[in-house]
Amino acid sequence: MSAYLVSVLTEGAIFGIMALGLNVIWGWSGDFDLAYYGYIAVGAYMTLVLTIGAPIAPAQYILGATLPYPLAVVIAVISAMAVALVVGSIALGHLRGIYFSIVTLGAVYVMYVFAGQFVPLFDGYNGLSGLFDPMGDWFGLDYFSYQYFLMGLCLVMFALVYFLMSRVSSSRFGMALRTLREDERAAAAFGRDIYRLKLKGYLLGAALGGFAGALFAAYLTAFNTSAWSPIEVIVLYSAVLVGGRGNIRGVALGVVIMGLIVNESTRFLPSLPGVGAFNTDHPQVLLAARGAIIGLVLVLFLRFRPQGLLPERRFVDRQPAQPATDVAPLTA
Amino acid sequence: MHAALLTLGFGIVTASILALSAVAFTLQYGVTNVANVSHGEILTIGAYAAYLVHQRTGSAPAAALAAALAGGLTALAMYSSVIGPFIHFGASPTVIFIATLGLSFVIQNVLVIIFGASNVAYNLDPGAPQQIGPFLLNPLDQQIVISAIAITVVLFFIISRTKFGKALRAVSQNRELARVTGINATRVAAATFFLAGLIAGYAGFVLAETVGSFTPYFGFGFFLITLTAAVAGGLGRAFGTMAGAVIVGIVLEVVPALPVPFVGGYISASYNLAIAFGILALVILFRPRGLFTNARRTVFE
Repeated sequence: MSAYLVSVLTEGAIFGIMALGLNVIWGWSGDFDLAYYGYIAVGAYMTLVLTIGAPIAPAQYILGATLPYPLAVVIAVISAMAVALVVGSIALGHLRGIYFSIVTLGAVYVMYVFAGQFVPLFDGYNGLSGLFDPMGDWFGLDYFSYQYFLMGLCLVMFALVYFLMSRVSSSRFGMALRTLREDERAAAAFGRDIYRLKLKGYLLGAALGGFAGALFAAYLTAFNTSAWSPIEVIVLYSAVLVGGRGNIRGVALGVVIMGLIVNESTRFLPSLPGVGAFNTDHPQVLLAARGAIIGLVLVLFLRFRPQGLLPERRFVDRQPAQPATDVAPLTA
Repeated sequence: MHAALLTLGFGIVTASILALSAVAFTLQYGVTNVANVSHGEILTIGAYAAYLVHQRTGSAPAAALAAALAGGLTALAMYSSVIGPFIHFGASPTVIFIATLGLSFVIQNVLVIIFGASNVAYNLDPGAPQQIGPFLLNPLDQQIVISAIAITVVLFFIISRTKFGKALRAVSQNRELARVTGINATRVAAATFFLAGLIAGYAGFVLAETVGSFTPYFGFGFFLITLTAAVAGGLGRAFGTMAGAVIVGIVLEVVPALPVPFVGGYISASYNLAIAFGILALVILFRPRGLFTNARRTVFE
């Protein structure tokens, strides 16, 4: 297996966990949450500060512990959920539709600005680095075999999350979240506590985001503001949308498709006539072409196939209420 | 006291640019009832157009005209290629919000492909600062403030006195009712987008002039602040938005200059975005219909 394939599979598995988390918030609960990348970032930053040890001047950051990686991951996930609890309890209160999106957009930019500017937190724009091969020495792995180990770990974790989400999908909780998406007032009329349900869904999504962030930190070995930009969440949204919003098999398919687009779409671009007319010497061009394609896919799918390639199965009432026939006519 | 007034002067310049951008955004919102998240890219394209024309002709008025025209055409293209068809197809405001976010991503990346992601320096000689009343403003700043006031006056005239303005108000208030009375809502919306684009394109030009450089991501950053101003003023209300922009613009300049002990002395101007969104969150939570309305209502789509 080539190193390229290993990195693609590792990234794909992490990306898949992120997309499954986003699917809880957007696919099931139905909220267009723009803060999601913030929870991924919190997961990654927290994993790093808990594992890489005390800062060496001039670097500065909080905690600086040397916890074992799995413990750090748990704390990172809890931290992501704690941040999501703050954002969610404000934004889910009585904001819906674009107002929810605007507030979460605001929240994520506040996180981004603080991560970049407030140096004592995560060393500002320099960010954190130095998480080398977590858990590798437990098994005595060298650098190369570690890449396989990490790939395996991420794939197993993806499978686990996938299994878990398929259970949640058909659980009462999963069904209840969907009712909120379809008709909040009807759900309330049936005695659902909308706010608590939505908040629970939001925290579950954020937990998966934070977990994916923790794996991402192990994969990247470092994290700073250039490793994430709030608007990158569009890539995740397009994966969920293309595959089939609300349907976890669809989400997995979307991850594969977007993964292919991200990694392969621009492979043949530089040889195209026209594109070379501009600054092909610019390394940004390939990344930008990728971004433009992803954005275009998102817009086209929203317009022409909003249910995605593998649409969510709609729940139909198998025993619709029949008009009563054997009732005696009402006479006074 | 003197320093405070100086800061207030800068605040007025920021507020002028913000007012132009925010009123353009809110006009689009008014006629369609959807937020155009790719609004910032109109400013970016205006800035690039101004820069290219300025380079070739050396004339600032030609650059301003090019920026406005490029902005108008961009906004018109946004309406007729994405926003209009989505509305026609019956998409919800949230779906259109997502679509325009995708569009914004596409435009930013196409601009990177064409122009590269690096900073474009756009330095004009601002001239020597002059004492204007209590403020110290250079000729460039004066031009910006005066042009913003002039545009506001013209816009006020268009909205309140012309037939088009009447149609615009009718469509903003109730699209269906306007239709029933024989107004072609689609055409009014398209024309409004063009008008808003002219203003936003020009705003992109003056913003680029003031900042002195720009990138393909430049408009998106300013859009986030624009959004705050527009929401504070009441989405869809043109003149409320202007007032919101003045408040937000001044707060953004004044707060970083306050001697608050925070991160080694002063709040850095880099926290602007965080401050803006702090205001935004408070407004949405407590006055979701804007600062200048008295109804405290929950926002359901």
